[in-house]
Amino acid sequence: MQEQLESVRKSFLTDLESFPDNSTGLQDLKTKYLGRKGQVASLFTHLGKVDNADRPKFGQLLNLLKNELQSLYDKKELSISAKDASSNRPYIDITLPGRSPSNGSIHILEQTLLEIKEIFKSIGFNIAYGPEVDDDYHNFTALNVPEHHPSRDMQDTFFIDPQTVLRSHTSNVQIHLMETSDPPLRFIVPGRVYRNEAIGYKSYCLFHQVEGIYINQNVTFSQLKGCIEYFVKKMFGPKKKMRFRPSFFPFTEPSAEVDMWDDEKNQWMEILGCGMVDPAVISNVGYDPEKWKGFAFGMGVERIAMLKHKINDIRLFYNGDVRFSEQFS
Amino acid sequence: MIVSFDWLKDFTQIDESREELAEILSSIGLEAEIKPFPDILAGVIIGIVENTIKHPDADKLKVCTINDGVKTHQVICGAPNIKAGQKIPFATVGSVLPGNFKIKKANIRGIDSFGMVCSERELNITDEHEGIMVLPDGLKIGENFMTSYGYKFSSIEIDITPNRPDAFSHYGVARDLATYKNNPLKPLKIQNAKGKNLEEITISIENQEDCPRYIAGVVNNIKVGPSPAWMVERLKASGLRSINNVVDISNYVLLEIGHPTHIFDSKKIKNKEILVRRAKKNEKLQTLDGNNYELTIENLVIANSNDPIALAGVIGGMKSSVTLDTKSVLIESAYFDPITIRKSSKVLSLSTDASKRFERGSDPNVCDKAFHRIVQLLQELAGGELVSRMIDIYPNPIKKQKIKLRKSEIFYVLGLDIAMENVENILAGLEIDFEKKVDSWICKPPTFRPDITREIDLIEEVARIFGYNNIPIDNSINGNYNFLESDSENKYDFIRNYCAGLGFHQIYSNSLQNQTDSHRSDLIPVKMLNPLSRDMAFLRTHLIIGLITSAIFNIKNGTNNFRLFELGNTHQQLKAGLEGVLESKHFAGIIFGKNSIDSIHGEGSLEDIYSLKGILSFIFEIKFNTKLEYKEESFNCFDGSYAIFINRQKVGYMGKISDSMTSDIKINKSSLYGFEINLEPIKDMLNRNNKFKEINLYPEINRDLNLVLSSNQDAGDIVKLISKVGKKLIKKITPSNLFNNSETLGLNLKSLTFSIVFQHPSKTLEDKDVNPIIDEIIRVAEKDFLAKLRV
Repeated sequence: MQEQLESVRKSFLTDLESFPDNSTGLQDLKTKYLGRKGQVASLFTHLGKVDNADRPKFGQLLNLLKNELQSLYDKKELSISAKDASSNRPYIDITLPGRSPSNGSIHILEQTLLEIKEIFKSIGFNIAYGPEVDDDYHNFTALNVPEHHPSRDMQDTFFIDPQTVLRSHTSNVQIHLMETSDPPLRFIVPGRVYRNEAIGYKSYCLFHQVEGIYINQNVTFSQLKGCIEYFVKKMFGPKKKMRFRPSFFPFTEPSAEVDMWDDEKNQWMEILGCGMVDPAVISNVGYDPEKWKGFAFGMGVERIAMLKHKINDIRLFYNGDVRFSEQFS
Repeated sequence: MIVSFDWLKDFTQIDESREELAEILSSIGLEAEIKPFPDILAGVIIGIVENTIKHPDADKLKVCTINDGVKTHQVICGAPNIKAGQKIPFATVGSVLPGNFKIKKANIRGIDSFGMVCSERELNITDEHEGIMVLPDGLKIGENFMTSYGYKFSSIEIDITPNRPDAFSHYGVARDLATYKNNPLKPLKIQNAKGKNLEEITISIENQEDCPRYIAGVVNNIKVGPSPAWMVERLKASGLRSINNVVDISNYVLLEIGHPTHIFDSKKIKNKEILVRRAKKNEKLQTLDGNNYELTIENLVIANSNDPIALAGVIGGMKSSVTLDTKSVLIESAYFDPITIRKSSKVLSLSTDASKRFERGSDPNVCDKAFHRIVQLLQELAGGELVSRMIDIYPNPIKKQKIKLRKSEIFYVLGLDIAMENVENILAGLEIDFEKKVDSWICKPPTFRPDITREIDLIEEVARIFGYNNIPIDNSINGNYNFLESDSENKYDFIRNYCAGLGFHQIYSNSLQNQTDSHRSDLIPVKMLNPLSRDMAFLRTHLIIGLITSAIFNIKNGTNNFRLFELGNTHQQLKAGLEGVLESKHFAGIIFGKNSIDSIHGEGSLEDIYSLKGILSFIFEIKFNTKLEYKEESFNCFDGSYAIFINRQKVGYMGKISDSMTSDIKINKSSLYGFEINLEPIKDMLNRNNKFKEINLYPEINRDLNLVLSSNQDAGDIVKLISKVGKKLIKKITPSNLFNNSETLGLNLKSLTFSIVFQHPSKTLEDKDVNPIIDEIIRVAEKDFLAKLRV
């Protein structure tokens, strides 16, 4: 019995070594040794003829043999099927270019606006929108911009009729908001605004603005500084050097302009205007300026995008040049 | 306003460099910019012209000998004004002028030249370049030009905000600076001139509101001539050109203390009668700058015997102006109402140094000082004598107002707990009188600060001088939560994202359009009263025009495959006035060329109407489980177009862009297609949340039905029929194959295959369930559409 076992084993190893190099040969090998009428099976039938005392021992040996052959066979089968697959596969030149999908893009101003919105949302600002065409009262008068005041020159405005304008800032929406809701409130207002300015690399007849307003009790200039600093660092990185510079806007007092240091140009670059909401504006909408204070800020999305991405001509935003868009896809 | 560094030092101590000073001024609200101006130009020295001879081979050039105190240099110079004996700025070989202009040895028409005699422009002092800069006598030859003389032209440009008339002068800027540094401000040395009573002046003012104060006086025995060097230099440093001593004095006082005055030739004022009145309609005036203006009732004028002789507060008249022959002058130092002057200046679009100051509000109580200063300088520099009394018409003197400043309010607004002493130093420095109370001050701001009328204005002054950057940062904006919708435009995000994924580039186009483009549909565009140009006089009613413009731009620049979209507001004027303006959010796109790029793997296919249909279906139908419908309808801008319906509402159109819209590009435009959708009617749909539907796990049965139909039979009718007959058992019907061949099929016939997917919501379908449906479809199709089953 022992010899028989050994001989089956050797013969299997020889066969395995020499003949099967495809799946058909492999199948024959399996039938010959491991099949229902194969050599291993016939050894099991011989087991009945062995002495009772030796039977468990041979039974065990036989099982070991069966497992060994099965596992050798499995390995061979795996390697042959792998070889088969590779020989059937067509030739692939992986150095050829791939099929490239056409890329589209979201406008860089839209991307910038989304980023600005995210930052202010993260400190509790809501987002509001309002009309691009509005009356002189909401665009100017309610914002403490008196008629016949030089500050009206700061924003040369398009008129539809003597009382109706294309808004020159989104602050008109602040007034609408305050007229219809009670304080406290905390909003940013993105939107398209218009200025009667000749078109050049630095100016366009329209641009996009984000204005923010926060009205509450105990709102201070210190908090405004904190809020703006948070925005600038989030938008441009934590190491940005910035400064607050006194300025003048009719709707805020004190007013400030915020500059950011440009290491390449070696100069301060203006990024936004802000200030404490002028008490006149607070009372214009019917709030009590002794009780309610607020801060407000306004920035041009174009300016932020130009500073962030070193874009040097504002007209690139509006001509739809695919070669420009692709750079921000 | 350009401020001379040297002049500022007359009034307060300055130890800072120009750069440091500019930084300080910006930090206190006087936004300063320094013009590039080198502190030391090494190698540029004071030289003297020893002699000049004509260049033998060039008419306009001279060969000059320049002495630098040690040796002489041969220099070729083309300036017409160079003469022997002049002291000049001399750039020696090896020196570098502003703009990185290196001075090298040169050979000009055969003669060597060692160095250059400089003009003011080459030294960055003024724009003057007609000739070389001729220097005053006292300078020492051989010394560095900048340190011995050029420094006088060092200046800083300040952008004055509309609320700060007081900062429109050297003295005003010095006041802010002195307050910031807590240094003393040197008083102006002005002696009150005592006039003789030899000349009578009659002043009448039509309306006190236009002109609350008018001072005049006559100075005789004037000698008009050049101004002294120091005055020329200061004016030059401040960006003004010297005219003559009398005109220069008025300008000098304007820059020194900020009050505009005017000097008339008194001989040209009949009987010395002055009338301040509004201009009459169509009255004409030739002004000092030589322009002729037709005046309106908005203009305030100074008139003499019925004729205007000056535009009050804006500019003088030509006829009454000072000339070289002038012997006697009448000085005007007045205070005009800011709004009156602003309207007057606006209506003529004429802005001057004087009008800029008056419209911001000059100081009514400085008129007399300005007058005395003018007289003083006239006496010193033009040898004049005040022969009249100073006539001062000021019936209702403007007084300082009282304002209470609470220390607590400073804290509430700024978040800054500032020491009382700091506040008081700031108030005192800005010449704001105050009376100290326990926790507050009763302040009286000077009349040169018309911007300070409320407590908040005082708080701003405290913050400004204390320094915004010294106010602490507070990161605790405390507040309430609220539950408002956080962003009503979020509903459009998916459109942008889908489009970008489908290869579209988003564009932003100009909302302002010309007459033709804005009138391409029946909608009435919003029209501007004061457009930038005729090309931009209307607000867009549609986005498609902007997309076509961009498409043309891209094609012209060689981009031949693209998809563009825009999401933006359009406007129309439904009826007159603001209430009649309707703003709507539109979504539009344009496609051109091939929708995938030709490559080694195969050619791309050209965009067509089915590309658009597929894109719109992808964006709206699947997400919102709705069906878009199309109906042929013509629109301007399109050759062949379809109205688009969503939820049975007409929302827009799509089609082939008309060749007439793109006639200036010559390439094949057969693949240029566009669409536009008004999102307003479907806003609610866009806001809707999709609800989950159980996934149907029962097996599907697929059947293909091949029908021979008339060639002009729309597939959609058959799809409707199949869906109607199949009721709820049909999951999907796709026209999957089209075959046109008259030889096989017969004339005017086509064969269409419909792939139908059946699925039951609650059981496994079997052939016996499906077969009767197919039979019924065939029966109806044969009856209603003369279809034949193709076998």
